[in-house]
Amino acid sequence: MSEGLDVSEFITGYLAEADEHLTNASTLLVSLDATMRRRETNPKAVRELFRALHTLKGLSAMVGAEPIVDLAHEMETLLKLGDKAGGKLPESSVDLLLKGVKAIEERVKALKAKKPLEPAPKALVDALAALRVDAPTSTPAAALSLDPELSAKLALAEHEQLAQGLARGRRGRRVDFQPTPEKAAAGFTITAVRERVGKVAELVKVVPRATASGVVFALLVLTDATDAVLAEAAGAAPGQVTPITLNAPAAVAVDVEEDDARDDSEPAARDYVRVEVSRLDDALERLSALVVTRSKLERAVARLRDGSSDLRGLQAIVTENARQLRDLRGAIMRARMVRVSELLERAPLIVRGLSRASGKPVHLDVQAGDAELDKTVADRLFPVIVHLLRNAVDHAIERPEERRAVGKSEEGHIRIACADHAGRELELTVTDDGRGIDREKVAQRAGAPVPRDAAELLDLITRPGLSTLDAATRTSGRGYGMDIVRRVTVQELGGELKLDTRPGAGTTFTVRVPLSVTIVDAFSFGCGDETFVVPVSAVDDLAELEPGQVVATPDPNAAAAHVRLFRHRGAAIPLYLLGKLLGCPGSSAERPKVIVARQGVEAIGFQVDRLIGKQEIAIRPLKDPLAMVPGVTGSTDLGDGKATLVLDLGALASRHAFRKASA
Amino acid sequence: MQDVLVVDDSKVMRDMVVACLRPFGSLAFTQAASGLEAIEKLSLKPYALLVLDLNMPDINGIEVVEFVRSQDALKALPIIIVTTRGDDASRDKALSAGASRYLTKPFTPESLLTEVRTLLAERGAAHP
Repeated sequence: MSEGLDVSEFITGYLAEADEHLTNASTLLVSLDATMRRRETNPKAVRELFRALHTLKGLSAMVGAEPIVDLAHEMETLLKLGDKAGGKLPESSVDLLLKGVKAIEERVKALKAKKPLEPAPKALVDALAALRVDAPTSTPAAALSLDPELSAKLALAEHEQLAQGLARGRRGRRVDFQPTPEKAAAGFTITAVRERVGKVAELVKVVPRATASGVVFALLVLTDATDAVLAEAAGAAPGQVTPITLNAPAAVAVDVEEDDARDDSEPAARDYVRVEVSRLDDALERLSALVVTRSKLERAVARLRDGSSDLRGLQAIVTENARQLRDLRGAIMRARMVRVSELLERAPLIVRGLSRASGKPVHLDVQAGDAELDKTVADRLFPVIVHLLRNAVDHAIERPEERRAVGKSEEGHIRIACADHAGRELELTVTDDGRGIDREKVAQRAGAPVPRDAAELLDLITRPGLSTLDAATRTSGRGYGMDIVRRVTVQELGGELKLDTRPGAGTTFTVRVPLSVTIVDAFSFGCGDETFVVPVSAVDDLAELEPGQVVATPDPNAAAAHVRLFRHRGAAIPLYLLGKLLGCPGSSAERPKVIVARQGVEAIGFQVDRLIGKQEIAIRPLKDPLAMVPGVTGSTDLGDGKATLVLDLGALASRHAFRKASA
Repeated sequence: MQDVLVVDDSKVMRDMVVACLRPFGSLAFTQAASGLEAIEKLSLKPYALLVLDLNMPDINGIEVVEFVRSQDALKALPIIIVTTRGDDASRDKALSAGASRYLTKPFTPESLLTEVRTLLAERGAAHP
């Protein structure tokens, strides 16, 4: 292999280990052959075979035994696919794998005899490579009665192994082992425990878990032994053995893609938030206040029933209740907050990886501050950060020699800085000291006129599919574009994206997003030239307005306020002209539509000109207190860059009713 | 003396890693033959560096990295992955899980030594 390390020193060890792996592989193949003849799968054997060959491949690479590496590699590839398919392998696999083991054995012998190694037999390598494994069926086996945290750590094959064992009537058990220095000193280590448990049970998986009292290993096994025997083997109390059973078939979280590339722009697919206990306590306290209000309410209702009406008292309770609900909501929102520093924890690793992949030395400076973001925003923002970092390393930072030539340090610099603006918005900047964006080049590439300012340039580079590097680099060429950055920032999160670039000096991207957003499905519709949206959950029904359905135009007061009656599902409900309520120019639609919403138990209709569609929107609260209007919950961006108002139809109607009453 | 934990299910491979690092001088080596053993050892005593294989019985190297990084006490522990998996996906996965460096087998003693030097120097700078 390599200079400096004397391989001959390790050859004896290599030969011994290779022999062990090959014997093991042969035994496994025999048992695999038997199960395949019964038309059953043997996920455990496939997995162990994979491991044996993988290890052999690595060892052989270290001692420079290339033909063995080639053979082991093909066999390993096939087995890995089989492992992912829950242990399923094509019929001819066992035969070819046996031939492969034999071919490796011959070469190991040659190595022992210090003879030159024959290259890997091409026919065999090709035949192995030609075998395809069916994609894993997407329906995992029946769910197991396992803590989801443990269940998530099981590969599909391990899950299968447990489920199959249980289905065959074996007992599934979980037993915990907690290592301590005392136990270790007495030889009671996890390795020893594994061995002891392995004697009385089939060990499927050991999952390490961090607990308040230290690391605890959960051993998941299939066994015929009693709990007492199992506990004894694991050095645990019998009470520490818990059964694993089959639940009714249901969707279960199994990490099918266990070994696949997990795009690092995904926030680790972790759907949980770390919450400070004090925040949960706070929410709980607010909840108890609500409970108190509820008993007050009950007492007030009882008094009403007794005839002693105390409406003012009731009103006070209702007001208090509304405030408490708002507080509780706030407390829960606070519990959902994630530290930006946590979000950026992985940025240095990502940059390090990118820097190594591109061969450009890069220093990353992270100033995360102590800002916090709602989990939803954080999850969506993470890919944006990753992409900006990728762009900075791949496109912006010059190669070291280029940097030296223009008098810069060879090491590129990237800085991420975060600041919380008035507790409403997060401003995140990604700054590099690279070459800056060349407007002319970008324009030429996009076939567009040269942008006159930064905003136009930003428009241009956020067009789908535009890349300024001629050959997409390895790390950036994975289909992620600046268009994604823009879409997530502006459209999904209702934020802003800005660009400042100076040729030769560097580029700064500024992302400004609300600290929290509410993301909902919404209907968009038009009145005159204006577009509005309403959360789907607030809509009861959508209807066409047929001329005969407007049953009455009641009293003149109401007519002035554009209220008529509309026949809907056998009842007459008030119908408002939404455009008029919002002060938009008169409607002209020939076929107006009606949105039916609910206000308490009452249905109310709103006439609009046209329905546009349904989409997911991020509701941005209105920032300007002067712009806070009852009936308008916030604004959103439907993707056209304009602010679209999000309406609360119920509040709009009551605002109108209030006006009417006070008129 | 700084303690290095070398994790690989192959004894020969562990011995090779130790042999590569011998010239460094002031290192003491502890070996673990599985990811579980590694996690156990890490939970019982502090180490200056973790050299880790990816493909091992019971739990793989990525799981070890994830576990290590989920623990406050081990957040700063430098981890060098030494693996046969040269593909980008594995590399990305390991690095984004929190590995500090990624070497593929076969590696040269120099490359491993250089990485260890850099990592221990960085750590020394961070924890004087």
